[in-house]
Amino acid sequence: MAVSTFTGLQTALRGLLAQQRALDVTSHNVANANTVGYSRQEAVLAASPALRIPAGAVQGGGAAELGTGVDVAAYRRIRDQFLDLQYRAQAMRLGGLAAQVRGLEGVEVALAEPGENGIAAQLGKFWSGWEALANAPENQATRQALLESGVGLAGSIAALDRQLATASEQAAAEYESIVAGGGEVGQMAAEIARLNESIRSSLGSGSTPNDLLDRRDLLLDRLSALAQVSVTDLGDGTIEVEFGDAATPLVAGTAVSWPQALAEPGGKLGALLEISGPTGTIASYRADLDAFAGELAETVNAIHASGGGPAFFSFTPGSAASTLAVAVGAAEVQTSVGPAAGANDIAIAIGALRGGSADQAYASFVSRVGTDMSNARRAEQNADALTAAIDARREATAGVSLDEEMTNLIRFQRAYQASARAMTSFDEALDVLVNRTGRVGL
Amino acid sequence: MGTRITESMAQRSILRDLVAADRNLALTQRRLSSGKQLTRPSDDPFGVNRAIALRGELEGTRQFRANVNEATGWTNATEAALTRITDVIQRARELLVSGGNDSNGQVAREAIATEIDALAESLKQEANATYEGRYVFAGTATETPPYALGASDAYAGDAGTVARTIGVGVSLTVNVSAAGLLGEGQAAADDRLLDTMRDIAEHLRGGTAADAEALRGTDLERLDANLDELTRVRAIVGATANRLQAAGARLDELEESGLDLLSKTEDADMAETLVNYSTQRAAYEAALKAGANIVQVSLLDFLR
Repeated sequence: MAVSTFTGLQTALRGLLAQQRALDVTSHNVANANTVGYSRQEAVLAASPALRIPAGAVQGGGAAELGTGVDVAAYRRIRDQFLDLQYRAQAMRLGGLAAQVRGLEGVEVALAEPGENGIAAQLGKFWSGWEALANAPENQATRQALLESGVGLAGSIAALDRQLATASEQAAAEYESIVAGGGEVGQMAAEIARLNESIRSSLGSGSTPNDLLDRRDLLLDRLSALAQVSVTDLGDGTIEVEFGDAATPLVAGTAVSWPQALAEPGGKLGALLEISGPTGTIASYRADLDAFAGELAETVNAIHASGGGPAFFSFTPGSAASTLAVAVGAAEVQTSVGPAAGANDIAIAIGALRGGSADQAYASFVSRVGTDMSNARRAEQNADALTAAIDARREATAGVSLDEEMTNLIRFQRAYQASARAMTSFDEALDVLVNRTGRVGL
Repeated sequence: MGTRITESMAQRSILRDLVAADRNLALTQRRLSSGKQLTRPSDDPFGVNRAIALRGELEGTRQFRANVNEATGWTNATEAALTRITDVIQRARELLVSGGNDSNGQVAREAIATEIDALAESLKQEANATYEGRYVFAGTATETPPYALGASDAYAGDAGTVARTIGVGVSLTVNVSAAGLLGEGQAAADDRLLDTMRDIAEHLRGGTAADAEALRGTDLERLDANLDELTRVRAIVGATANRLQAAGARLDELEESGLDLLSKTEDADMAETLVNYSTQRAAYEAALKAGANIVQVSLLDFLR
């Protein structure tokens, strides 16, 4: 069997077309160099099916295969799915720690410790007020000063408790806004379901929707900062997404199940729940503050009422911090068990509470907040560095390098030019054959 | 091919380094402008705990210093009054010695008795000494004068002690009860100052040989015994004053060392912080310069 005269032309044409496609892909890469979540693509070139020449093609009469040029076998998305898994695990940790740091930062600032205006300083002034009263129990001005420092102290404790409650409420509100029907999670889930649909139909018609896959991976990255995300490939190009500890998969193929209840979802949502929950961080801070306020009120009251007088502080057990108040007027402040104007045993005994159980309870409360905060900050910085490192590895695989694309541009352009040159030489050969052969003597 | 480095990797890493350098710089700036190493509990939870304890101790020390000052004022007022009481008794003793001398006639003795009465009155006046409006010799009944001027010699104060706290768990009694010195007069027959003075006046006025004998004998002995008691009390008050002075000096030292400790715990070391600041600033500027340069050139610049 003879080979068609025009085979060479066809081969050159395939070369032109394939190099042009490769140039198109390079141009697409360059255009998306700064697109978030974009993975570089590559036109995979493969030799086109050879032309089989049955017999007599080569010396000795054997059969042979003649190359017919090149085809684009696929447009490949260059991405390491394993790095995606690593990245999402870190993104979840980072999301949780960052939310924790932001949620507790307000608490730490509200403490105003160490400083002149914190509760520790007011507590010190309060004890000094009692000692000043012990120095001059007859004096109305020292009584009034003591009362005012007591009222200020109780007010500061109640204000701190309110700030803690507000921080908790803010975290709860942020959680609600993210998980609500039209919130971040719902929107992303709906978009993943739509992408599943499109990806399935593209794959069904035989193409690989690289850009849609990129978009879906980006959404999964973002979801994973919010909570633990695990992805199962359903085989037809669609995926199932498990979100946190939700009972039903968030997305299964094209179906979305949201909103759902979460208990310990991990990530940012997990941190927000952990901060604001009824047994969460802030609730336990408030319990500490209550214990401190109760201890303060009880130790002072026990001594103050030892002579049969009224209690100095009033409070509701269980919510001591928010209900702490000075319960006596200047005339009712007890300085001594007996009635003598100059006696000061009660005032001295209360003044001696300085540095006692209440002070220690408060100091260890501050220390606890500080330790939590400092641990969270350090862990956040670690997670940030880890996430960045994994992201850099991912970028090393999937990112667009302009230098590389420029090199490819030259490569493909030269190959295109060469294919064109091959076509020209066939053209010249055919010109000789068609226009000049058999024209001897004409 | 080894690890690919893309433009956006370089950009992101420069941005990250810039942010990190900026964060360090901001922290150092905060330390410089506030002068504090610790501005938040999370800066150093242990250090902050220590700072809070130190501040509490410092506040306590300052209050103890105020207590000592107050007690010193009280003691000074007591000492001054006791000195004047001693003067009064010395004068009474001179009068007694001269009154017991038989060379004095009854008229002269009457005159001396009148002066003794006046001295007894001034004794009561001195015992009504006050410090900042409070009667220092009345026990804890500090708003009641211990003695009414005039005929009645009854003690109107109580036996309570006035105490001041001058250290953790250290309470010091600063008052002296006038009842132990002046007593309650002839009605109580307690041999204290007022009883003695009244008896002396009576004996001076009596004019009998037995009266004269009493003036020279028992009255003088009793007055000397009262004087001894007064000296003893003054020694106690003096000892209290010394103790207060020592405590004050110790508290001053404590305050100073407390401030020093607090400063070491809480304050930024300016020299170190400034050096850190310039190092970090240099690093920040270098990062900025790198950011400005690195991203400029690419293969594009060399292709024609």
